[in-house]
Amino acid sequence: MDNSIVISTPPHVKSKRTTRGIMLDVCIALAPAAIAGCVFFGWQALLIILMSVFACVASEFVYFFIANKGFSEKCKNAKAVCLRWTKQFDFTSVVTGLILAMIIPTTDKWYQVLYEVIFGAIFAIAVVKMLFGGTGKNLVNPAAAGRVFMALSFTHIVATSNFVGASFGPISDSSLVFTDATNLAGLLTNGLDINPSSYLSPLDLLLGTGVGGCIGETCKLAIIIGYIYLCVRGVIKWWQPLLFIAVFGLTAVLMAGFTFDKYTFDITLFLPSVLSGGALFGAVFMMPDYVTSPKGVWGQLLYYVAGAILLALLRHFTRMEVFSFVILLMNLVTPLIDKYLISRPFGYIRQKKHKEGK
Amino acid sequence: MKAVKGRYYFGGIHPRGNKELSKDCPLEVMPLPEEVAVSCAQSLGKPAEPIVEAGQTVKCGELIAKSDGAISSDVFASVSGTVTEIKELTAANGAIESFIFIKSDGKDEKAYLPPLTEPDAEAIKARIRDCGIVGLGGAGFPTAVKVAPKTPVDTLIVNGAECEPYLTCDHRLMLERTDEIVRGARYVARALGVTNIIIGIEANKPDCIAKFEPYEDIKVVKLAKKYPTGGEKQLAYITTGKRIGHGRLPADYGITVQNVATCFAVCEAVERGKPLYERVVTVSGKAVKQPKNLWVRVGTSVQAIVDYCGGEQSSPKKVVQGGPMTGLALASYDCYTHKTTSGVLLLDKAEAAAEEPTPCLNCGKCADVCPMHLMPMNTAFYSAAGDFEAAAKYGNTAYCIECGACEYICPAKRPLIQAIRKTKAYLHNKK
Repeated sequence: MDNSIVISTPPHVKSKRTTRGIMLDVCIALAPAAIAGCVFFGWQALLIILMSVFACVASEFVYFFIANKGFSEKCKNAKAVCLRWTKQFDFTSVVTGLILAMIIPTTDKWYQVLYEVIFGAIFAIAVVKMLFGGTGKNLVNPAAAGRVFMALSFTHIVATSNFVGASFGPISDSSLVFTDATNLAGLLTNGLDINPSSYLSPLDLLLGTGVGGCIGETCKLAIIIGYIYLCVRGVIKWWQPLLFIAVFGLTAVLMAGFTFDKYTFDITLFLPSVLSGGALFGAVFMMPDYVTSPKGVWGQLLYYVAGAILLALLRHFTRMEVFSFVILLMNLVTPLIDKYLISRPFGYIRQKKHKEGK
Repeated sequence: MKAVKGRYYFGGIHPRGNKELSKDCPLEVMPLPEEVAVSCAQSLGKPAEPIVEAGQTVKCGELIAKSDGAISSDVFASVSGTVTEIKELTAANGAIESFIFIKSDGKDEKAYLPPLTEPDAEAIKARIRDCGIVGLGGAGFPTAVKVAPKTPVDTLIVNGAECEPYLTCDHRLMLERTDEIVRGARYVARALGVTNIIIGIEANKPDCIAKFEPYEDIKVVKLAKKYPTGGEKQLAYITTGKRIGHGRLPADYGITVQNVATCFAVCEAVERGKPLYERVVTVSGKAVKQPKNLWVRVGTSVQAIVDYCGGEQSSPKKVVQGGPMTGLALASYDCYTHKTTSGVLLLDKAEAAAEEPTPCLNCGKCADVCPMHLMPMNTAFYSAAGDFEAAAKYGNTAYCIECGACEYICPAKRPLIQAIRKTKAYLHNKK
């Protein structure tokens, strides 16, 4: 026996999962969506993705370097500081960078997006994440906050008319034509079609062919592949995105049924509404974000149902893609949910009402 | 009876069992140690009072420390020889206990109580008390107290789950001493006046399940392979569906839970009059040369056990007394086994997860696996800030059974059990 023996409280064996491993898994799950984005929107999309990831990682590093005391000391032994940084680097900033790039579109002026994404990334990492204490301490989803920051500062990425269309046309042309155009236009705002007179079939929406939109959000198939990967690896709970999508879709269909004089319930609207815009991407990659979602099962149920209803209502009334705002709102409610929805322990006995509770 | 499946319960983890290291090693009697140091604090509750003096000769199985108080148990000499000294030492768990050192004379003369034939309930209860039997599952609750409940009991659950990784002592005992365990369980049932005997065995031990199925009066429940299935509250729920409330005893719900090793010890005590001075200890881990299941005398030093198993194969990172999920990390081999020591594990660097904690991600995995439906992350968060009141309130820490599932699953390797114990210590001191 040598002196390297360790004493600690039990348990003495632990699972092999680490924060870094989980974040790498998320990166892998995001890869199909990123590749699909590059295929659909060309090398400009690839540039934006790379720039976003680079800006996020770089701003984390710079913050790590200049924050806290002893800047001149750190400059002297910069090598040691870099080594320390790589040791604690856990890929969270890579995930943030990837997600941020996925939820912004390529526009006609892609070079503008390329430098605007740097500001978004700096805001997301430096202000939203690192200022609040780094990994695990941020109040809201950094990528969503970065996207909101960009949307409010550089409005041309919100105006859907600027979006670049995908490099593939629709496979099946307008097999699903709706008469009630106004409501559907609201549903389909972000997944806008190239030809406004006809609406795309769910198959086209699923594959993302003929749909303009954000880099990672258009190809739903890639997102579903990522979702399956995350579930298999146990990173997210399988029911969470499904619950969100189901509640969101049903609420959207219910809302779409309201017209001035009559009420129609058309379940065929379900697929177009969940497959349009960023709902699916957000439900898989942004709502289940560990840091900013509730921890108990009941809190999670409330979080997903409330978020879904909020998104459906806001989408219906604003006719805009508002998922980032919804995520920020729900993130801000999360601490409250965590505080007041504490799960009841196994073998809980109600103190006052029943004396002999089971 | 034919095995039935147990109920599903929420939470729990699936740790790597690593039982194959010692699963196929038959029970083996360890040679007599040259010296033993028997602690007087062998059970929950008050330590026993030594009744021998230095220089006195004792026989194996002779009473050397008398129980003191209601929740306490007698302590017996585990070898025959001379008492060399009685001194107070810091035990592995940090408590100061008085140890009785006995130098073996190598003869191993036995001083057993007279065997009982066809005993009645009172005789069995008296024998269990006189033989100093405690719960051998780990907690060390005196069995004499358990078999004399204040409320009527209708079910005896025999705990053969052994859900802790690495440990195989109960597994081997169930395989090789099936009949003694069943007879012991019947004696406990007679003492309690119950007819309903249930044995819960984890599904990863099909050979044991098959061994117990021929007994018609014993209901075999096949438990899902999950940790902590062998926890008292979990086992009671899985087998009977009763939820044991916070601060209640299983006896309040008509249940008594006994470990298989305890049943075996009861059988030995009743039929042979043998006091509890030895038990099966699993020696395992990748850092030990030959993993074994040994009959070890109480008070044998860990050094002697490790030496008998061929010594170290590689340098261990952690030496654990008990199971890896709830056991005690030892600072050195200079420690002595207790009645409750179920294993000595030498974990190498790859097995023992001694990593630096990273920031909490708030992922909530600890709450997902908690079998008591608690929120350990809240306890950790508030206790790190020094606010133990809030830690207990938002984490429901008082309910915690310290199974360690939360810390096992934590991807950030946070020391959650440490935070929980700190909070519990605060609650205890406040009372």
